[in-house]
Amino acid sequence: MKSLLFLGTSSGAGKTTLDAAFCRYLARKGVRVAPFKASNLSLNSYVTLNGEEIGMGQAFQAWASGLEPTGDMNPVLLKPSGPGRMQVVLRGKPYMDIDRDSVMDRKAVMEKACESYDKLMEEYDAVICEGSGSPVELNLMDTDMANVGLMRARNVNAVLVGDIERGGVFAAIYGTWLLIPDELKPLMKGFIINRFRGDASILGKGIEKVEKITGMKCYGIVPYEILKFPEEDSLSDTGGAIGDGDIHKEFVENLDRLIDSAEKAGVDIAGLEALLNE
Amino acid sequence: MKTIKKRVEDELAAGNIHSNRECPYHPSHFKGQNCTFCYCPFYPCEDERNGHYIRNTKIGDIWSCENCLFIHRDRTVEYALPRILEKGIAPGDHEGMMEVFRESMDACWKKGKAVMVVGATSDAGKSMTVAALGRLLLRRGYLCAPFKSQNMSLNSRVTSKGHEIAMVQMLQAQAMGLTIPDFHMNPILLKPKGNTVSQVVVEGEPYGDYDVPSYYNEFVPGPGKDIVKRNVDWLKDRYDFVLMEGAGSPAEINIYDRDIANMRAAELADADCILVVNVEWGGSFAYAIGTVELLPPEDRKRIKGIILNNVRGDPAKMRAGADELERRCGIPVIGIVPHADVQLPQEDSESFRDVKTRGNGSKRIAVIKLPRIANFTDLDPLYTEDTTVVFADCPEDVTTADAIVIPGTKNTVDDYLWMEENGVADAIKSMKGKVPILGICGGYQMMGRELRDPKGIEGRVAGTTKALGLFDNISYWDKYDKRVIRDRAEIIDGGGEVEGYEIHMGLSEVVEKPLFQITNHGRTGEVEGSVREDEMLYGTYIHGVLDKPAFRKKFLSLVKSRGESPVTVGVEDYNDFVDQNLDRLADVFESGIDMKAFMRIMGVEE
Repeated sequence: MKSLLFLGTSSGAGKTTLDAAFCRYLARKGVRVAPFKASNLSLNSYVTLNGEEIGMGQAFQAWASGLEPTGDMNPVLLKPSGPGRMQVVLRGKPYMDIDRDSVMDRKAVMEKACESYDKLMEEYDAVICEGSGSPVELNLMDTDMANVGLMRARNVNAVLVGDIERGGVFAAIYGTWLLIPDELKPLMKGFIINRFRGDASILGKGIEKVEKITGMKCYGIVPYEILKFPEEDSLSDTGGAIGDGDIHKEFVENLDRLIDSAEKAGVDIAGLEALLNE
Repeated sequence: MKTIKKRVEDELAAGNIHSNRECPYHPSHFKGQNCTFCYCPFYPCEDERNGHYIRNTKIGDIWSCENCLFIHRDRTVEYALPRILEKGIAPGDHEGMMEVFRESMDACWKKGKAVMVVGATSDAGKSMTVAALGRLLLRRGYLCAPFKSQNMSLNSRVTSKGHEIAMVQMLQAQAMGLTIPDFHMNPILLKPKGNTVSQVVVEGEPYGDYDVPSYYNEFVPGPGKDIVKRNVDWLKDRYDFVLMEGAGSPAEINIYDRDIANMRAAELADADCILVVNVEWGGSFAYAIGTVELLPPEDRKRIKGIILNNVRGDPAKMRAGADELERRCGIPVIGIVPHADVQLPQEDSESFRDVKTRGNGSKRIAVIKLPRIANFTDLDPLYTEDTTVVFADCPEDVTTADAIVIPGTKNTVDDYLWMEENGVADAIKSMKGKVPILGICGGYQMMGRELRDPKGIEGRVAGTTKALGLFDNISYWDKYDKRVIRDRAEIIDGGGEVEGYEIHMGLSEVVEKPLFQITNHGRTGEVEGSVREDEMLYGTYIHGVLDKPAFRKKFLSLVKSRGESPVTVGVEDYNDFVDQNLDRLADVFESGIDMKAFMRIMGVEE
């Protein structure tokens, strides 16, 4: 398959960071890996060397992969510009403004996004994709690109990241799986529980049940870490500080710390890697 | 007894009916109560649904019905009064009165219905939903009580009887128009002391310290269930509705059978449930259906409606998804509620966990972000002023501030050591005399010279810790005991009244000039707090000290923002401010909820 998609049960579940950490893990092993997010809704953008505008999250994942960010890594960037208005940035260039009156030709835009995905798949050994928000917003699923849209278009295997910090993580994982269209359920390979504090053994019974009723495998429980990464989302306001060195380097070093702690906590990273060879 | 009879006689003769708003005690139980029977003609009715006997007092057994609401309901008065008058029953004729009482109970008393609000996550908006629905029911003339079987929170308050319950149940009681909330509304309060241990407060009194396994393996299967049952039953006997609140998610399947805060409590109270989901983070449909579908069938059937809460943007856009959700899980979505822009006290420290500052006013107030910060609703009135509140966890935050507040903590000694290690303590000392400094409760203890904890009751390690030394007071912990009391006081140097409550382990030997004169009945001569006006140092044990405008105004008037004009101070009573915000919250919920469907869940066809 060569590619894997990180889905999240909500915004801020930790998709971007775990995706970046997995890129970093693969890059350290010498795998030529690239990040990809079909469509991104964000006002925090980054400009590539070629002057293309992409989401900050993909730039960060590119650094984690040891690459210079490119426009193909985030071919569709949606920038809210006012109530009901959005600017569509396609492959790094402003494409159109959408509002109530002018609707985007979703099919054409999705085709362009898939071309970018195909290009990365040709150029790299592995492409690690990120979903957007929750994949099962019932009112938005028809027009989705980054989640079920990509799964449908390119048959990409997916793992689901659930944030345990807010509680209700089993409900979130099971509910997301339930609402994924049946024909795509075989692509749902597993889940990861993120941001856990305390003694993980108390989760055992819940994990077993969710594995049993969904057929997804639990790839592990990632411990809560206070690490500073770029802010993608207006939702997170961590205000945390990082050292005064090179900021990109600091981010990547934080990823190394996260990988260490995930490995110590028994997260099956090798198992995730094995999904790339399925 | 004689005077009571006389009063009843007078009341009946006068034929006064409804509320007596001129009475200094009005409304003594709830807003709009009927005071026709200020004294009950049925006393002692000896009906346990209305009161109970206090046995073996100095003057024998006493029938206590101080919590009875029955006699203050319009429908009771409108039924009973004409009958008493028609039958010509004289106030001394207890047998005759009891006949009317029995008829009135049969006609007017009904056991209340309990409905529980559960959330798909923490921060789903359960507490605010209960408050809003309670206010909406109050507006329709119903009497509701809030109930949360088990609340984990460091924000507690003291009831008029001196019992400690979670702040948010007090707030919900206020939303429901109740003036004297009691411990039944939150019979189990868990106050985290360290990373794994909590103090368990049962029915308002400290019960013991438990870690996570002992709480779930000993407390819950032991006394836990019975505590929940007897308290919710007590409320059901007295109110039209009990609006219960769950804790976290009800679908934590790893601890499902030991969770007495959610579906087990619903079962004990025979309550139907409403599931609230916070839409803001996305994934709300998944959270909703996942929560419903993970519950065992007998619990699932209690869920009668779903509320999609905190919708920013156009709620109409959620409708198609909501219809699909209804179709998939068979439970109606009874509300799509917009984000409510209100200012109300917050339950969890989680809500400012990732927040560095609040407000955008001209005065920077550093509030020390103690790791076990408690009763931080003390700070809420500051947000209504021209301030920027900075949650300070490093020396720079402190030295750049225009004023410093050291808040309460569940662990004064450990949190002081935290402050010493990261340099915040030295930073505070360096600001002495330059900016006003206020310590509340644990923060006040820290302002003293020493923290003496010879038995290790408060801190991890027994011994004496040198504290800030801004005051010469010494605080000590010599026994496992807690002072829980409500205070009313005057600022000694004039300037008005404060009102609040003390909750603290540990006491202080105070050698400084006192800040407040206590004015509670029977406590004349008591003083409280410490002040050094020339150095702008203030310390008090009274939580809520900033709620009334008097002291807030005094403290903020000392705050000089650097090089800018002095503070303009609002003079609002924080309590009124809260009440206005509860009304706004209820309006927002009413705009998004299908009230007919909601009332049907409450068992009322409109």
